Amino acid sequence: MISIKNISKWYGSFQVLTDCSTEVKKGEVVVVCGPSGSGKSTIIKCVNALEPFQKGEITVDGISVGDPKTDLPKLRSRIGMVFQNFELFPHLSVTENLTLAQIKVLGRTPEAARDKALKLLDRVGLMAHKDKFPGQLSGGQQQRVAIARALSIDPIAMLFDEPTSALDPEMINEVLDVMVQLAQEGMTMMVVTHEMGFAKRVAHRVIFMDAGKIIEDCTKDDFFGTQRSERAQLFLSKILHH
Amino acid sequence: MSGYDFDVIQRSWVYLFRDGMTFTLTLTALAMVGGIFFGTLLAMMRLSRFSILSYAAGGYVNLMRSLPLVLVIFWFFFLVPYIGAWAIGAKDPVKVGSFMSCLITFTMFEAAYYCEIMRAGIQSVARGQVWAGYALGLNYWLTMGKIVLPQAFRNMLPVLLTQTVILFQDTSLVYVISATDFLGAAAKVANRDYRLVEMYTFVAVVYFIISFGLSLLVKQLQSRIAIIR
Ligand SMILES: Nc1ncnc2c1ncn2[C@@H]1O[C@H](COP(=O)(O)OP(=O)(O)OP(=O)(O)O)[C@@H](O)[C@H]1O
Ligand SMILES: [Mg+2]
Repeated sequence: MISIKNISKWYGSFQVLTDCSTEVKKGEVVVVCGPSGSGKSTIIKCVNALEPFQKGEITVDGISVGDPKTDLPKLRSRIGMVFQNFELFPHLSVTENLTLAQIKVLGRTPEAARDKALKLLDRVGLMAHKDKFPGQLSGGQQQRVAIARALSIDPIAMLFDEPTSALDPEMINEVLDVMVQLAQEGMTMMVVTHEMGFAKRVAHRVIFMDAGKIIEDCTKDDFFGTQRSERAQLFLSKILHH
Repeated sequence: MSGYDFDVIQRSWVYLFRDGMTFTLTLTALAMVGGIFFGTLLAMMRLSRFSILSYAAGGYVNLMRSLPLVLVIFWFFFLVPYIGAWAIGAKDPVKVGSFMSCLITFTMFEAAYYCEIMRAGIQSVARGQVWAGYALGLNYWLTMGKIVLPQAFRNMLPVLLTQTVILFQDTSLVYVISATDFLGAAAKVANRDYRLVEMYTFVAVVYFIISFGLSLLVKQLQSRIAIIR
């Protein structure tokens, strides 16, 4: 579904990504981890062309992301994305956050969009908050709304960039529960996270990045087994011990 | 001329407000709307990744901001008829009323100032908001129109209104092309009746009350916005 081939990216003369390749198959859940600054956010933003890349090729469902002829808004409307800082639209109500793209991008009627929005809010357990504004919700609630918003466009795949790292510890699980459910329903997911519990429960594969390179790309069992590289091991022991 | 005669105000205030103040307020309101509209477009150009657009907008803004307003008013008053004629291919200069000439001038001039405010406003919206818009499949115009500009506008509302208070005061400069704004109307009465001190005092008081009242309103708005956020 998502294929990343030999991607390299520079910010000026600074190389953020070096020859990264991987693939996410339909229905697969891939967790991406690695130290801060290793390029995790960058690679995930390249997938839906929020960041340009200079070398290599990314295709989503057979469509090339880097091709200048590609209709990017259309491509992006088929991929859901969830950000570390939620990025809900603060001037719109929760329901409006969920209907905006449905109406303006997918051309659904306001009624159909609203029905869909309410179904999704019910699913993430936030029906009672449908008329509130994002600023009136807790972080965990905001992130669940953000997931519902990403789902509102019926994406064929979901990208998550550290969806729980801006949350207070007691709110992490409510968000992870929604993500686990999504994974179990067979959604194709690429998830940047350090929540190894999540990875152990639902990931098929784990990618470990360091300094702009993909160091490990292996099955979950291999990653949590004994096969992994020294660097990944060191990193894992650090994040599992705090 | 012995002593002061404030009766002149009583005799002339209907004329001052009906003709003069209507001109001033209409000009202020329309130039504000036009100025914010074009200022926002200029701000989007300035922040564009196409360097031709950003240089063009930057040049325009810097030019307008380096010229005294009086000069611009004069120039436009004399030039607009010729520019208009050139634009529609007419032989003779187009007749443009003084109000229309003032409106065009103030819209163009204030656009430069509103541009800088809207530019700051657009930059005050977090980068992630733009990403979120694009990630949902919205294009540039929808992301701007539905996500960035509403927030930029809300963040900058007090500053935009403060600029409008300045615009309101600046409109009195149309006096130099003999337009009958509030000050112009008062000047006519003052000269006719030889009541300069009385009339100009009255004009000052009226400008003060309106401007000060508006800035109080802006302050109140500012604290209300601070609570919402
Ligand atoms: N706009 C930019 N200009 C220049 N350098 C950038 C820019 N954005 C990111 N970088 C650099 O690129 C590198 C990778 O950044 P990225 O955000 O992808 O890291 P990350 O793995 O997501 O880290 P974190 O865990 O902190 O989110 C970092 O060294 C960062 O400083
Ligand atoms: Mg990151």
